[in-house]
Amino acid sequence: MISSRWTPYLFLAPALAGLLIFRLIPIVVAAGGSLTGVSLMGDMRFVGLENFEYLMTDPEFWSSLNITLLFNVIINPLQLAVAFGLALLVFRPLRGVWLYRTLLVLPMAVSTGISAVLFGLFLDGNLGPLNGFLEWIGIGAQPFHRSADQALYTLIGIATWKGAGYWMLFLLAGLYSIPSTVHEAAAIDGASAWQRFRHVTLPLMRKPMAFVLVADTAINFLFFAPVYILTSGGPSGSTSVLMFQAYRAAFTFSDIGRSLAVSTILLAIILVIVVLEFRLLRSPEERA
Amino acid sequence: MDTPFRSPLALMLRYGLLSILAFMVVCPLAWLALASLRPQAEIFQPVSEFGWHTFIPSRLTLDNYRALWNGDFPLAVKNSVFVAFMTVVFGIVVNALAGFAFAAFDFRGKNLLFLLVIISFMMPFEAIVLPLYVMIRAFGWANSYQALIVPEIANGMVIFLFRQFFASIPRDFYEAARVDGASWLYIFTRIAMPLSWPTIATSGLMLFLAQWDSFFWPVVAASAPDYAVVQVAIARNINFEQNDWGGLFASTNIAILLGTIPFLLIQRFYVRTLISGGIK
Repeated sequence: MISSRWTPYLFLAPALAGLLIFRLIPIVVAAGGSLTGVSLMGDMRFVGLENFEYLMTDPEFWSSLNITLLFNVIINPLQLAVAFGLALLVFRPLRGVWLYRTLLVLPMAVSTGISAVLFGLFLDGNLGPLNGFLEWIGIGAQPFHRSADQALYTLIGIATWKGAGYWMLFLLAGLYSIPSTVHEAAAIDGASAWQRFRHVTLPLMRKPMAFVLVADTAINFLFFAPVYILTSGGPSGSTSVLMFQAYRAAFTFSDIGRSLAVSTILLAIILVIVVLEFRLLRSPEERA
Repeated sequence: MDTPFRSPLALMLRYGLLSILAFMVVCPLAWLALASLRPQAEIFQPVSEFGWHTFIPSRLTLDNYRALWNGDFPLAVKNSVFVAFMTVVFGIVVNALAGFAFAAFDFRGKNLLFLLVIISFMMPFEAIVLPLYVMIRAFGWANSYQALIVPEIANGMVIFLFRQFFASIPRDFYEAARVDGASWLYIFTRIAMPLSWPTIATSGLMLFLAQWDSFFWPVVAASAPDYAVVQVAIARNINFEQNDWGGLFASTNIAILLGTIPFLLIQRFYVRTLISGGIK
């Protein structure tokens, strides 16, 4: 029989090996690979910070960084607000509320890529129903993802359709964890519903809301599938987020080094976000 | 408890808002499902004259689905189902073992290793897709099933869920079995796992959704037609000029049903696990 001392390590080995090889080592590979270049002969050589220097002087990179930041500045607060609204609507008991809750989380099960295809069809100028509806009520047809002015906002709308229900669940968990006695005490003291929301619910929801905001940001900095499927970064570069730049560097320009340099920059951003997230999650008692 | 929320006006407002939001979620899905049953000739009709027939086809037909049967879509469905099934089965075993170790044992380095687990689930998988692709290519795994399956097996969130569940079982329970001469493997397979089926259901759904939702990784690592999963196969079809819209409608609708049906069956456990504070 195996000695008990080694048992926990044997139980852990497959999972930890997986996390090490497929989650942590790639970070090192990204950082190391970003310092290499591929010569015309196809062999890798060390180029120091050349890839980063290139990016720093590349207007396309800066414009992509701006688009990624703009995208995040809009989408993260928007998704948080929508998710919080949804959570408040389905939180209190109501006949049939389970059905609404189920429908609101349904897009979680629609693969991100498929949701992009679905909206590509739904918003299409020739066969989608939405433009027909907009003309019917007199607003007129919109180009959506086919115009430089609307493309980014269309993608934000699609991602919110897909993501709001998921984040709602985390906020719902937060609402359920508020003891009902707190609300009852406030009600006995004569606080109105609005006052109780403003001075009891909101302050107690600060932590779950901060968690959703940070976790959502980590995901949205890596936004990719709808860009790849619907806009290919266009029209005129208006949706060329950093992740798409990294993809193009590798697969359009066969420049793995530059692609890994973009990945490294994204990873650095994500790691900062993870540290923030970790501080939010660590022992709630510390803050209460 | 709350008079303002009990008034008929507030109640109507709440039902009204919920109905509008649920409609916004369901409308595109329902439209696509119905449109996929349209005859090919009718697909372009709806935009010009908006009305009930924008949504309701004049005649329902399965032609669009039948036509898919002869293309490469059935292979993509097979690939997706195989990849998802393997990820879920291996993922449950591997992550449950690790969760059990964190819950049932004290050992050196436990806190550090658990930190690794937490960090890995906060960092979205997409962040390491490109460097991982460089590695997978070096392994000779580009365009293979293992490239799609193996990296998705170890999952920090699932380890965390299993740890939470196994930690809720008193350790005396495990110790008593030890005294009776049971091996740890026996305790894990015959005692701990059979108790944890709600966690198994939730984790299975979580692993399935992670695999099902991924797009960047399969596009990069396994885009060859032989290994293309459903979302990659369909995305490829929307990229160039279409003449088979009916086929695209039908295949997209199948892809939606492939995700939503398992989700609807298991989401009760999933939602309950999330809400009860399993993850916060």
